Order: sequence, then structure tokens, then C-alpha cells
Amino acid sequence: MNIQTIMQALQDTALATFIRESGSAFPTLESVHVIGIALVFGTIAVVDLRLLGVASHRKSALRLIHELLPFTWVAFLVCVITGSLMFISNAITYSENILFWWKMGLLALAGLNMAVFHLGVYRRIDEWDTTLPPPAQARIAGLGSMVLWVGVIALGRWIGFL
Amino acid sequence: MATDAIISWLYATPFSTAIRDMLWVVPTVQTIHIVAIAVIFGSAVISDLRLAGVFARDEPLRGVIRRYYPWMRNALIVLLLTGLIMSIGEPDRVLVNSTFWLKMGLVVAAFALAWWIRYPLLRTAAPATDVRTGSQVKALAWLSIVLWCAVIFCGRWIAYTI
Repeated sequence: MNIQTIMQALQDTALATFIRESGSAFPTLESVHVIGIALVFGTIAVVDLRLLGVASHRKSALRLIHELLPFTWVAFLVCVITGSLMFISNAITYSENILFWWKMGLLALAGLNMAVFHLGVYRRIDEWDTTLPPPAQARIAGLGSMVLWVGVIALGRWIGFL
Repeated sequence: MATDAIISWLYATPFSTAIRDMLWVVPTVQTIHIVAIAVIFGSAVISDLRLAGVFARDEPLRGVIRRYYPWMRNALIVLLLTGLIMSIGEPDRVLVNSTFWLKMGLVVAAFALAWWIRYPLLRTAAPATDVRTGSQVKALAWLSIVLWCAVIFCGRWIAYTI
């Protein structure tokens, strides 16, 4: 089975057909997707800025991360669900859109950046928890995250224009 | 009708034509618009949840509000400017659009509410009695989050309605 057959099967499902043919399903998904993006990027930017050395509403970087990350993850899950539903509604078209794959690639890089941070300088966070500015590794992770997420948003917008 | 004349004139201006002719302008401006939505919505949700008493309750209210309000105000300025560019580029699709005007009404309501709840806390030496507290403020904080979500919904629906 090649990719095209899978995509065709995806967009032939009853759910995908409903989203494609209903007038209001797609814009509703888009709206919820934007609310999710706003919460993902809004909360991640607060953490990223703290990693870059911008003081936040509390001193401890660890507590800030623990406090905000649940919001980020729930919002990200909302984005994944709404994004997947939009994707299946026109699976063939999206799978042939190179910018869609660039967006997925940047998402993977953002995940990798987060993994490097968590396995690296985050393990020593008690050494720099209330220090401003944080160590270089943390600042690089913060900057990288910010740049990658803006890239994800930009590509998401460009998908519709290609 | 006067509106039609204004739209035709605006549509024909070199600035409006340039926005449409340079194909990168609209998606780029939309990307900046979404990043600013994330900043205003993220800041609003974080400080509204603090006002509602469900987030960062161990941090003084004034500190949390003052941390995020300038970001909300600056994001609003960016949103108005990028929104203005999009409206000038496509005045025929925006200025006669009922969802657009509903959105503008909601933006005024949402920001006025946000400011009204916050301004006693933003003044440097507000007497403690002047600070809005209690269940009314909690309810208004939740209403504020709902209003911002409605703004985002309307923003996406402008493209689908007349």
C-alpha cells in the first residue's frame, strides 16, 4: 500500500467526508486550532523568555515550568487533534504540500530541542533555579524553542497559500 | 452607498494594491498576527486564572498582573496594526463583513474588561481597599477568557462569512 492509497482511504472515511462537506466543521476546527496555538505558544514563550533571562511572575524556573507545562501539553493535544481532523479532510492535498512536511519537521526539531534541554541542563536546575541569567545551555534552549515555534506558526499559515 | 465608495477608493490605493501584489505580505502579516494573538491570549489566560484564584495563588496578585499587562497592551498594538494592513489589502472582504464588526466589538469589550479589572493593580500605590477582589472579579476573569476565545473564533470566521 503506498502513501496515496492510505491518504485516499483517510479522506474517504465518514468523519473526513463530514468535515470536508459540512460548511462549519472546518472553520470551527481552525478556530479551536488557533486557540490551542495561542495557549501553546503563549505559555511556552513565558518559559522560553525565563530561560533567556527575562524575569517571570515567580523566581523559580523549575516551579514556573511545572506550573505552565500542563497547560502547554493540553493545548498541544488540542492542536494535534484539530490538526489531524483538518488533515484527514483533505489528506491527499496536504500530504502533497511540501510546507506541511516542513511544519512537521520543525515540530520534530522543537521536540528534539526540548529533549536536549530536559536531558541536559534541566537536570542541574537546582543549581540555576533562581539565577538570572540562566546558564548558556538554558538560554540556547529558550531561544531555539522560540525560533522553532514561530517557524511552526509561520509554516502553518503558509500551508494555505501554497 | 458611501461605504462602497470608501472601499473602492481604498482598494485602488497603491498601498492596498501592493499588499495584494506582493504575495508574501499577507501570510507574513497573518503570522505576526497569530504570534501576537498567542502573546495577548497567553498573558490574558495566565493573569485571568490568577485573578480567578486557580493559578499561582502563592504569588501576590499585583506582581502577576503587572508582569503580563504590558505584554497584553503591546500585543494589542501589534494586532491592530497587522489587522489594519490586512483590512487595507482586502477592504471589500473585511469592511462589509458582519463577523469582522462583531469581532471589533468583542475586542473592545475584551480589552476594556481586562483593563477595568487590572487598572487598580497597575497603579503604583493603590490603597488596598481599591483593589477589586471577591467573587465578582473571579467571574469577570472567566468571562474575559471566554471573550478572547470568541474574538479568535470571529477572526477565523471572517473568511467564511459575508
